[in-house]
Amino acid sequence: MAEDKTEPATTSDTTQPTDVQPAPSAAPFEIAVLALQNLTLFPETVVPLGVGRPRSIAAVEAALSTPEKLLACITVIPDKTSDGDASAQHLFTVGTLVMIKRMERLPEGMRIVAQGTERIKVIEWKQEDPYLRAVVQVLPEPQVVDPEPVEAAKRNLQDMIQRALALLPSVPPEVRVAVMGSVEPIRLAYFLGSILNLGVEEEQKMLEADTADELLRLAHSSMAREIEILELRSKIAVEAQSEMDKAQRDYVLRQQMKAIQKELGDDEGGEAAEAALLRERLEKADLPDEVRVEAERELKRLERLPAAAPDYHVIRTYLEFVLELPWKKSSEDKLDLAEAQRILDEDHYGLEDVKERILEFLAVIKLRPDTKSPILCFVGPPGVGKTSLGRSIARSLGRQFERMSLGGVRDEAELRGHRRTYIGAMPGRIIQAFRRAGVNNPVMMLDEIDKLGNDYRGDPAAALLEILDPQQNSTFRDHYLDLPFDLSKVFFIATANQLGPIPAPLRDRMEVIRLAGYSDREKLEIARRYLIPRQTTENGLNNAQLKIENDAVELIAGRYTREAGVRQLERNIGSVARKVAFKIAQAQAESVTVNAADIPEYLGPPVFYPEQARKELPAGVATGMAWTEMGGEVLFIEATLLPGGRGLTITGQLGEVMQESARAAQSYLWSHAAEFGINPNMFRDYGVHLHVPAGAIPKDGPSAGVTITSALASLYTGRRVRPDTAMTGEITLSGLVFPIGGVKEKVLAAHRAGIRRVLIPSRNEADVEDIPEDVRKDLQLVFVSRISEVIDSALEVLVANPPPPLVHPEHPGARASEEPEPIVVQGLTKP
Amino acid sequence: MRNTDREFSLIPQNQRVRPSGRLWNPSADVYRSNDGWIVKVDLAGVCSDDLEIVINNADMTIRGCRRDTHYREGFTYHQMEITYSRFEKTIQFPAPIEGASIVHNYDDGFLIVKVITG
Repeated sequence: MAEDKTEPATTSDTTQPTDVQPAPSAAPFEIAVLALQNLTLFPETVVPLGVGRPRSIAAVEAALSTPEKLLACITVIPDKTSDGDASAQHLFTVGTLVMIKRMERLPEGMRIVAQGTERIKVIEWKQEDPYLRAVVQVLPEPQVVDPEPVEAAKRNLQDMIQRALALLPSVPPEVRVAVMGSVEPIRLAYFLGSILNLGVEEEQKMLEADTADELLRLAHSSMAREIEILELRSKIAVEAQSEMDKAQRDYVLRQQMKAIQKELGDDEGGEAAEAALLRERLEKADLPDEVRVEAERELKRLERLPAAAPDYHVIRTYLEFVLELPWKKSSEDKLDLAEAQRILDEDHYGLEDVKERILEFLAVIKLRPDTKSPILCFVGPPGVGKTSLGRSIARSLGRQFERMSLGGVRDEAELRGHRRTYIGAMPGRIIQAFRRAGVNNPVMMLDEIDKLGNDYRGDPAAALLEILDPQQNSTFRDHYLDLPFDLSKVFFIATANQLGPIPAPLRDRMEVIRLAGYSDREKLEIARRYLIPRQTTENGLNNAQLKIENDAVELIAGRYTREAGVRQLERNIGSVARKVAFKIAQAQAESVTVNAADIPEYLGPPVFYPEQARKELPAGVATGMAWTEMGGEVLFIEATLLPGGRGLTITGQLGEVMQESARAAQSYLWSHAAEFGINPNMFRDYGVHLHVPAGAIPKDGPSAGVTITSALASLYTGRRVRPDTAMTGEITLSGLVFPIGGVKEKVLAAHRAGIRRVLIPSRNEADVEDIPEDVRKDLQLVFVSRISEVIDSALEVLVANPPPPLVHPEHPGARASEEPEPIVVQGLTKP
Repeated sequence: MRNTDREFSLIPQNQRVRPSGRLWNPSADVYRSNDGWIVKVDLAGVCSDDLEIVINNADMTIRGCRRDTHYREGFTYHQMEITYSRFEKTIQFPAPIEGASIVHNYDDGFLIVKVITG
């Protein structure tokens, strides 16, 4: 309502007539004083004030009783602000003379509108009660000392005001006009002092400034600070805004993308659609209750997450995996025993006991469908068909076949998965195999279980313990899934080349089925039935174009390969087939028949010369049989007497067990020397050297005991070992023969070597069943249970090479004290 | 009445603060008459002694002081809306009026200033 004066107000002091009292006069006058709390009133400003304290009301009323309604307003020094009435010494001495423009009574006091006029200074306090009263003097208006800095400050201020107003959109337009209109620097400064919240101290300083220079400097620094705050505030606001804008933009873009995807008919893209799709699948899926609860929970989490959240994809992948797993889906078993038999026979020749085991299982399933599947372990040399047997078991049962190679798996997590907290976590191989199979009762082949690694990252064999335990595996927990999955319907088949490396607890859980090597005859059958037809077709030939005669196959098997399985045999047949294919392709022939005589032409000279039974053995040499990973071998154990030598020298890379066998054999013979017609002094006068070729191949095991005994007995007695006889068996010091393993391989090897008489421990009699009929027919099997029987059976009766004479025949007891027995085996007493 | 929360109120709380002159300005109408100008000022209750009219070229400044003469001992104000104290009003004329004869009188509470330029 107060109009802005366009005229400069500088006229006031000079042109004021003297009769207009009392304001402009320099003469002191007495006036009522109003104490202001937290507020400074500047000249030239109009301020509404609330007045509530009795003393303040009294002061205002005193002012109103004057003709001109003048009042002095003085601010309370900030530290002295109190709830009670301020006394004179609590006030600054410089204040403002105001004219009360309006007054109205309110229930709690009064409200006045005061207009500042001039600055005043208290000269003397007159009274404190009922209101403050003082003698004051009007101070002159601040004078410009140096006009240029004042002008500069003024322009700067106006500049800053512009900026401040730009930052304050809420300032009403009339204020803008008023502010920008004030050109007079002192008024501008006072105005700023009144509108900015500078704090009482600052404001009082501005009020007390005696020069325009000082006043403007103060106003300027206050304004600069204010601008800084305003700008900071606006920056914060802008940042908050832009943050919101980005989220909003993302949202809009995502919505657009959704619309585009919908337009393209690609509804799955949308996160809601995706979640809905998963939900739909979840509802349709046949899940166990526990799985459903967990999947529902994860799906709820997914629905709450935006697609951009890192967890989103983890959960989605997880849910998809859960939904893809065959929790309850099983394939129907084919329960036709005759058909299963036919399939097994079609795929594999021989292997009767394995086939029988499969058929038994089928029969049990037929009678009791919820039978737990067996866990088989095929152990045998490479190439005997362990893996393909698994495949045909699956085929005969009508089940899915899943094979995983455990060779080199070192990390338990590969089998059991990683926990989902890890980035890129995956389920383990077992669970992945189920997803591939799509049913929960596949035939699962764990290949090369003996080649599992094991280091600080965990022992995969330990994980297998759970997987292969029928008592536990119905609730197998993969780390990734963290849900129990039923493995009990799975037909597990493990394969291994050796039982040794398989940890005992694991071995214990499996039903071990040994696949020994094939005999020559079996190899021939296999070649004729499977290998030749397969290689013929693989090399682009037909049955009419290539014929391989049986004698050719036998030659390849015997002289070009040395193996228990048929892998090399197949490779060699393949070579023959390729060379025939070359001939036919060059039109050198239309069809080729290959017989034994042709083989060197195709395959070069024979590679192997298997140990053949020797026509004649010197005394001290015996034929033994050994088991190797590649099947069986025939080996010769040689012993010689060392005149004047001592003890027993053993060479040929023999292991601890075998060395001990040798000592046991010698000790037994020594202790029973009389029984076998040996002069006990032989042991004293002659050392013995025992050697087992081939010297470069390490050998171990107890089963050479019988052979070593025979060789030594032959040496000491001079009776030769029968060259047509091979033998095996563990011996004890008391003269018993213990059973050994690998009978089939050993016998087959002996047969291959042309030996026709075999000594085996009588407790191995059952194993003879394994020996193919055709081999057994050729052989004379001698079962032995005592060393004496061995010696009777193995040695010729005739003393062909009498032992050399004793070195000290005349004093048998003379050197008794000096008679060392260099090899002392625990429990053995000197004779 | 301003109060304590100074720290965060960056917008002036008291938007009724207006820049003002040291004095107040009464409203005035200016008529053009046959022989000069008639100025009517909304200015009641000012005694002639407290009134001063100054002519300077084309400007006429009316200033003075309105004093409350009705206040008596024992009175208390209940309400006050009339502005007292010093006022000033400057009227600009389109032509210089120096030398014109000035007559002023009160007519029903308005101050009427006749400027007769002849």
